[in-house]
Amino acid sequence: MTANPHHPNLSASASGAAEDTLRVIASLPAPAGLEDRLRTALRKTPQPARVLAWPTGLKPHSDWMRSAAAAAIVLVVAGGGWGVYTRVEQNRPAKVIAMPPRIGAPGGFSGAGAMRTPQTIPGPAAPQPAQPKTAKKAVMPPGTKSARKSSAAGQAAAQK
Amino acid sequence: MSTSQAIYAGWMEIPNSAVQPEARRSAEDAVLAALVDQYATALYRVAYSVLRNPADAEDAVQETFLRVVRHRDTLNEVRDHRVWLIRIVWNIVLDRKRRAKTRPETDDVAELARVLPLTGLSAEEAAAAAQHHAHVLACVEQLPSKEREVLMLSAFEELSSVEIAAVLGITESSVRSRLFRARNLVAGLLNHTRNPK
Repeated sequence: MTANPHHPNLSASASGAAEDTLRVIASLPAPAGLEDRLRTALRKTPQPARVLAWPTGLKPHSDWMRSAAAAAIVLVVAGGGWGVYTRVEQNRPAKVIAMPPRIGAPGGFSGAGAMRTPQTIPGPAAPQPAQPKTAKKAVMPPGTKSARKSSAAGQAAAQK
Repeated sequence: MSTSQAIYAGWMEIPNSAVQPEARRSAEDAVLAALVDQYATALYRVAYSVLRNPADAEDAVQETFLRVVRHRDTLNEVRDHRVWLIRIVWNIVLDRKRRAKTRPETDDVAELARVLPLTGLSAEEAAAAAQHHAHVLACVEQLPSKEREVLMLSAFEELSSVEIAAVLGITESSVRSRLFRARNLVAGLLNHTRNPK
């Protein structure tokens, strides 16, 4: 949104009216006795407590105090580093402890030279290769149980 | 006396250090009282221009000085007390306004008619003027916050564009461009309301 380009005077007068209003608001007088009320309120305010009153020479803002603090920090850090350095031995050979050969206690239990052989689980049977069917179905001799059954079934079908 | 001697003398200032805080506190109180006398009215006007409520504006000014009391140790480091105080009160009132968004604004015409100096006008003229001001303020409220803030601060004749820039924490060229945009926007809004077609 911009000012009306066809009527610049109208726009100027409109923004001027807005600024006039704001100026009227901005120039309103303060209520009477404002300063007194403020001073009273400030007097009632609790003063910020100072835990430690620094002596003049030890003021936290003084330069020498800053330098001393910096030097103390450097000393502490350097001292700590030196302490660690002196305590740690560099390239120390690894300790090898020779263990005595193990001797079985006399009179105790012994394995008697037994060796444990793990149980083997029976594995899956390998599939047998299929045998070619060369022999024909054997012809059942008459008089056997199966032959009788088949002849009875044939007769029943013929009756139907 | 060499520097080191002076330092060591500082260590030994026991009786002086017991007296100094009191003297310093009274000096700070005097500075505070001077600040109240000098800038309370200006701060109230800044606060009122945003809050448009006398009681809220007075509270904001009081809070401003309470903050000053809290940071009284740094008073010596402040270069321009006026701009510093206006910046504090500006932040306070913006914060308050943001928090009180739900509360109805005191932009009603009756309140404005009561507050604005409309002496020498008839009752009808006063009512019309109040209505006009209320309408203008409603248009200003519709502006984007950046433009609105610059426009409102520019209404204070005692604030230059450099000081407005210091209050808002922006550059002077930004102040100028925002002010230009704000003027155009508010003119457009006012023209639109006058000629809705």
